[in-house]
Amino acid sequence: MTLRQTLATLLVASLVPGLALAQLAPAGTGEGAVPAPFIPETTLAINSPTPLAQRVVAYNIDAKYNAVKHTLDGTELLTYHNVTGQTLDRFPFHLYLNAFQPKATWVREAKAMGSRDTSYEEWEEKDWGSDEIKSFEVVGIGDLTSKLEFIQPDDGNKDDKTVVQVVLPKAVAPGDYVQFKIRFHDEFPETQARSGWNRDFVLGGQWFPKVGVWWHGAWNCHQYHATTEFFADFGVYDVSLTLPQYEVAGASGVLMKEVKNSDGTQTFTYHGDDIHDFAWTAGPRYRVAEDTYQGTMGTVQLRLMMQPAHWRQEQRHAKILKESLEHFERWYGPYPYKTLTLVDPEPGSAAFGMEYPTFITGGTFWWMPSSIYEPELVVEHEFGHQYWYGMVATNEFEDAWMDEGINSYTEVKVMDSIFGRDTSIRNLFGATYGEREDQRLFYIGVADLDPMARNAWQYANSHSYGGVTYGKTASFLLTLEKIVGEETLRNALHTYFMRYRFTHPTKEDFLKTIEEVSGKDLRWYFNQAVYGTQVFDYEVMQISSDPVNWYEKDVKEKRGETVYESRVLLHRKGDFIFPVDIEIRFDNGERLREQWDGRDRWVKFGYQKKAKIVSAEIDPDHGIYLDRDNFNNSRTLAPNKAPARKLANYWSFVVQFFSQFLAWWLV
Amino acid sequence: MLKQDTKLIFAGLRIVTRNKGYIFWFWLLNLTLAEFGTAAFRSRLHAALDSSLLADRLLHGFDHGVYLEMVARPEWGPPRGSAVPAMYFSFLFFLVTLFCMPGVLDAYTSEGKPSREDFFRCCGRNVWRFARVLVFYGIVAGLIGGALLSGHVALVHVSKKSTYELLPFYTHLATLGVIFLVLTVIRIWFDLAQVDVVVRDQRAVRKSVAAAFRYTQQNLIALLATYVVICLLGVAVLAGGLWVWRSFVPPSNVLGAFLVTQVIVILWLGMRFWQRACAAAFYMRETPVEPPIPATAEPSPSSEFRSPLAPPVDGAAPPQG
Repeated sequence: MTLRQTLATLLVASLVPGLALAQLAPAGTGEGAVPAPFIPETTLAINSPTPLAQRVVAYNIDAKYNAVKHTLDGTELLTYHNVTGQTLDRFPFHLYLNAFQPKATWVREAKAMGSRDTSYEEWEEKDWGSDEIKSFEVVGIGDLTSKLEFIQPDDGNKDDKTVVQVVLPKAVAPGDYVQFKIRFHDEFPETQARSGWNRDFVLGGQWFPKVGVWWHGAWNCHQYHATTEFFADFGVYDVSLTLPQYEVAGASGVLMKEVKNSDGTQTFTYHGDDIHDFAWTAGPRYRVAEDTYQGTMGTVQLRLMMQPAHWRQEQRHAKILKESLEHFERWYGPYPYKTLTLVDPEPGSAAFGMEYPTFITGGTFWWMPSSIYEPELVVEHEFGHQYWYGMVATNEFEDAWMDEGINSYTEVKVMDSIFGRDTSIRNLFGATYGEREDQRLFYIGVADLDPMARNAWQYANSHSYGGVTYGKTASFLLTLEKIVGEETLRNALHTYFMRYRFTHPTKEDFLKTIEEVSGKDLRWYFNQAVYGTQVFDYEVMQISSDPVNWYEKDVKEKRGETVYESRVLLHRKGDFIFPVDIEIRFDNGERLREQWDGRDRWVKFGYQKKAKIVSAEIDPDHGIYLDRDNFNNSRTLAPNKAPARKLANYWSFVVQFFSQFLAWWLV
Repeated sequence: MLKQDTKLIFAGLRIVTRNKGYIFWFWLLNLTLAEFGTAAFRSRLHAALDSSLLADRLLHGFDHGVYLEMVARPEWGPPRGSAVPAMYFSFLFFLVTLFCMPGVLDAYTSEGKPSREDFFRCCGRNVWRFARVLVFYGIVAGLIGGALLSGHVALVHVSKKSTYELLPFYTHLATLGVIFLVLTVIRIWFDLAQVDVVVRDQRAVRKSVAAAFRYTQQNLIALLATYVVICLLGVAVLAGGLWVWRSFVPPSNVLGAFLVTQVIVILWLGMRFWQRACAAAFYMRETPVEPPIPATAEPSPSSEFRSPLAPPVDGAAPPQG
């Protein structure tokens, strides 16, 4: 950045908070005419001279955090631009923090289905969270606090207060702006769903009233569920956060100003462009590392906020962050933001592994060996969400697979590329574990429960939600590589990203893009894998080789001379129909490839050769990841007992050791 | 003190080397029982792996994903199907060890090697006494260990509230270290009690327990140091064995892995026998030698169990003809 650019940036930086404050001033109280509301065209936080998204909202928030009580008081001026083409008189708002109340839908579901963070065996005060609107005013109309009404569009749970709506006495015409002035009070829970406090750490996620999205001719503003995430419109964020002076802070967007106040507090002012959410964190012990990445659209400032005990892993985190950026820019498209903040959250908090625009949380432990790549995996995954959620802003309530699943697939590709295909999660003392296998295992236990195309809160349980949205989608796309080719699928994802970034695409937008780029009709595959619950399970049911003259007395088999009648029987155990390759190996070294369209339930192949079958294998190139059981995909004529003996020896060693341990201490 | 400790360790080593056959038999017993205990697991493995090419990824390396898929298959069945038989056979090994240990201690405290008959006679004579010692041990170790474990849990719980992330780890380390040392002291105490029961042919085991408590109390540092040093050697043996296994045995070499693991098991077994031998050596060195029983005196309690062919207590030659 040149000196001139720096000065220009500082000038604009000093103006923007002023603008925000001006917008926060109550209408009619200032001198002269009230300026017409608008959404600024700022590009302070992106490496682009013009806005990249259609900006629907502008949030100006002034908030003060009470670190002792874990509460926050804020005022929010929300400018909404009606680009729906319709007159709007009803506006729904998310109040996500109200999910953490004992009768709320989120807690009810989490208790019934299980949750990543807490089992809710008993309700504790620290689990409580709330987002209370103290006053609600529509600029030019007046105070409508009394008109606010909680609604429960998904399950009718009257005790759920995660969505509130207001009906305006005067509708907003197409193309017009409306401004909501909201005063709110937050109580953060001890971290749940990656938001809240833990010890003296706090992560502010989903912490302010957020308007719903007008999508496909209706408001899309779902209740907060235990298995759902979020959906919001793009816009501009100007946020002033006041915190105690001992706190180290980080947030989405660009830090514009930092002021030390006389009352022992400090105020940080952040600005974000073309983002659809804003998160922040504060804690007294963060150690911060600054770095840069030279992206295709400009320099990206990397900020790593590490826990003190993890400081020696700072380079690991910086490295994977840069490598992820490099892979995504090369494969899918440019990263346009000027900043990226990686937060290593408080140990033991439920704040690890989360994505917000230009702000992600990782997850590691102080003892993490360098050959276990879990920290890298988390960072890569959350970074990937900058693309699949951050920029390609799909509806996480209704199409969770489109952010988590597509992201899991790209996670496999990036991790494989960096750490190797079968070692991309672990490569420790000869024990290996690959990311693609991990995704497949996630899915195979719930293969027949839910389709990918299902509302996130309507899955059978949290296992099915996780297994299908993450694991099945990744396996579905990895298997799709076999049909269209790895390079074609990469191109399709690139096209999809470039075409739909800064929009809210649907599942059909994604699937049609793949068909378009590959030039193939893939409905037969999508209908089963995306819209269906068909189970994929092919097996080599039987193989045999018998001498053709078996009936003669005293037959002596001679290798290379005896003629054998060989048979291979394949069986489609599941209801997923998919063409497969089969490789049959003979004891003279010959390998035969056959193909089967899989339409019938079984197929037989027969051969007469001067060689016996050694083995038959379905999918010999190992390109199918949807198959629920890989063990039955092959069969050998002669058993190989060595693998079982090896593992039995391991187990025997453990048992002997345990026996000795018992005898050591008791006798 | 150091010299005394070293002497004790080497005295124990001499005893255990002189009687190394016992280690072999206990190892063989452990291996045999482990084979029975792992039979269910082995048959499941053969059913899953023998005819599948996927098994190669477990033979040539260890693909964790393949292993997880194998045990996740419905055909594999519940995990307890493998674990429960193994635990039963481990318990059986414990019972056999309990039964045979008097014979081993008898050998460790004798100059010569007892005959097989004497070995099992000693085992039979002391089996209920050892069971009673075990009950005493269970009460003492249970109460003290339980209290320490509760303290450990409480301290770790408190340490987790700290903002210093490594504190719970250090708390774990420190409290588990203390628990280990205390349990080792208790183990020494009851090892000596067992030796006392065998050497004195003591029916009233409470007297042996009380006597052993006094010996332990008076020589705590020397005994504890001996036990801990041997224990650390055991840890070194385990670490070294695993390193050899990892470094020199190719993943697909099943026989090589078997041999290395069995050497580790034997050496570990040897460590425990070494500790016991040290306890025996200490006992023989420290306890006062009782005056020989006069010929006219009442028969000793043990004599009623002795075979007429066995040598008399005073060491005189058995009657001929």
